[in-house]
Amino acid sequence: MAAPRERIVLAVLLAPATLILGVFFLLPLLIVALFSVLMPGLYGGVEWAFYHWNYGRIFGWADGLMEIFEPIYLQILLRSLGFATLTVLLCLILCYPVAFWMSRLPERWRLLFLFLVTLPFFSSLIVRLYAWLLILRPSGLLNQGLLALGVVDAPLDILYTPAAVVLGMVYIMVPFMFLPLFAAVDNLDRSLVEASFDLGATRAQTFRKVILPQTLPGIVAGSVIVFIPSVGNFIVPDILGGAKGLMMGNLIEQQFLSARNWPFGSALAMVVMSVVLMVLLTMVARSRRVRG
Amino acid sequence: MIARLAGLAFLASTTALAAQDAGTLALYNWGDYINPEVLQRFTEETGIEVTLDTYSSNEEMLAKIQAGATGYDIVFPSVHMQDIMLQLGLLERTGINESPSFANIDPAFLRSSQDPNGEYCLPYAWGTVGIYYNEDVTGPIAGWEDFFAIPERTGGKISLLDDMREVMAIGLIMTGASVNSADPAEIQAATDYILSHKEDVTAFTYESMALMSSGDLAAAHFFVGGNVFFTETPNIKYVIPAEGGTMYQENICVLASAPNKEAAMRFLEFYLQPEIAALNVAQQFNGTPNVPANELTPEFIQGNPNINVPPETMERLQIFEDLGAALRAYDRAWNTIRTVQ
Repeated sequence: MAAPRERIVLAVLLAPATLILGVFFLLPLLIVALFSVLMPGLYGGVEWAFYHWNYGRIFGWADGLMEIFEPIYLQILLRSLGFATLTVLLCLILCYPVAFWMSRLPERWRLLFLFLVTLPFFSSLIVRLYAWLLILRPSGLLNQGLLALGVVDAPLDILYTPAAVVLGMVYIMVPFMFLPLFAAVDNLDRSLVEASFDLGATRAQTFRKVILPQTLPGIVAGSVIVFIPSVGNFIVPDILGGAKGLMMGNLIEQQFLSARNWPFGSALAMVVMSVVLMVLLTMVARSRRVRG
Repeated sequence: MIARLAGLAFLASTTALAAQDAGTLALYNWGDYINPEVLQRFTEETGIEVTLDTYSSNEEMLAKIQAGATGYDIVFPSVHMQDIMLQLGLLERTGINESPSFANIDPAFLRSSQDPNGEYCLPYAWGTVGIYYNEDVTGPIAGWEDFFAIPERTGGKISLLDDMREVMAIGLIMTGASVNSADPAEIQAATDYILSHKEDVTAFTYESMALMSSGDLAAAHFFVGGNVFFTETPNIKYVIPAEGGTMYQENICVLASAPNKEAAMRFLEFYLQPEIAALNVAQQFNGTPNVPANELTPEFIQGNPNINVPPETMERLQIFEDLGAALRAYDRAWNTIRTVQ
């Protein structure tokens, strides 16, 4: 038990963080949770009456009159999770080797490359996505290049396809994967790798038993940071996907900004948060087991 | 809608006469829906500094005002949203209809059922939503049937607006229903019509005008205002669909919570002047309810029957009304349209 004086100091030091989390995270979360079981107001807002159909619409109980169950919401959720998973995997495949390569560079080169990785943050996300629109369109830079090189005979239809959405998501998320991954790889104890080889381990064994467990915290951190915003992203599917494949983020945004159905939007948000939380807990539990 | 975000918090004030410090005025308008020169002229004449924030749908504006966004003086709701806002008590009575210049306004544009005499809001502008097509690729296009046939006939790409009401309106028009139908069977038929053409539609997007210019789209569903990009390109034409189209009208309203009501009132008076309404049309390429202003617009606009719409074309235009609870059915249909492959 800490001395009373120390406990006061601790309380004072923790107060700002607690206050900020409470006011800007916990309180809004509670409001969302509350709204998700209230009745939608005709012109937005909520009516103060308990209303479970918001969840019924998603999971299969609905009155069939005002609220109709449709499996498309679960379909949209699955699609969003699938895209997010794909984004995480592609980011990982892209970043993992590069992190190793960069950790071997001389100090000043490393700093330069680290700066380059963060460079995209200097301009607006929306502007950068518009640049991709210009690059990917049939008459855009990519197709002009491919045509000039004779790789293709006719412009490729990439813009407004799921491929364009994945490309845009990976493009946005790569820095978020790279930075934690690089930190982990950079801290890798190379003497352990050498020891592993000296003791007769194969390359695969060394990777599995020495390198992977040591870089796992970086992989998990990067995956989590990429996965969460990817599930809720609605700008990329809008701009590069042509709004043809609805994602969870679009659906939630639409409930607030055009369908005037705040409770249903809140219910969808709660479902997404629960699923993300479950995925995270599973991942963390699993990474513990691998390391243990 | 994203393009609109880029213009968010765009500051339209000028330095001229700023020293007078006659106050400020905060506008909350649709993206790209007012000529910046109009705001500049207002500041020059009155000394009032103007700020402009933008939104991309009536519902977005309503949601923000309802959620307690304060500091805005003037909003530009569509007619049906003005009715809702009046019922919710969000608007201020201005008595703008008592202004002598109010005689400039064609009474046909006093469409609000809650404000039939214009005691609250000033009719601002109106326009049509139709089809842009690249005639070199598509040949002549008369309406929706021709439009949806373009991909198969020519290999060209077509886009629709990323807008629930506008897309559903096409389905409703093509199945012979009102664009405000609340009948589940009619809504279903409209949904099926759109779904039967989904494969032909490259994208639901607001960015179609740039892709029309670059030749990446052969035709696009867009607002009349898009004509501003095609005054020098005779091959790109705009048509109000033969089967029927939609029209929109927005009004200038003062919020009950407006901090600068006096400045807001001066803006309404200012906008009643025909030359100001015409100045806006010259950049917006839409219609104005200000009758004398129609004589002052540029020739490209006055002489084009698809922009300066004659009465017989007006007859095939429908305007959106509030759907009330039926909005739920439209939302479900719109989700289905964008999920079913």
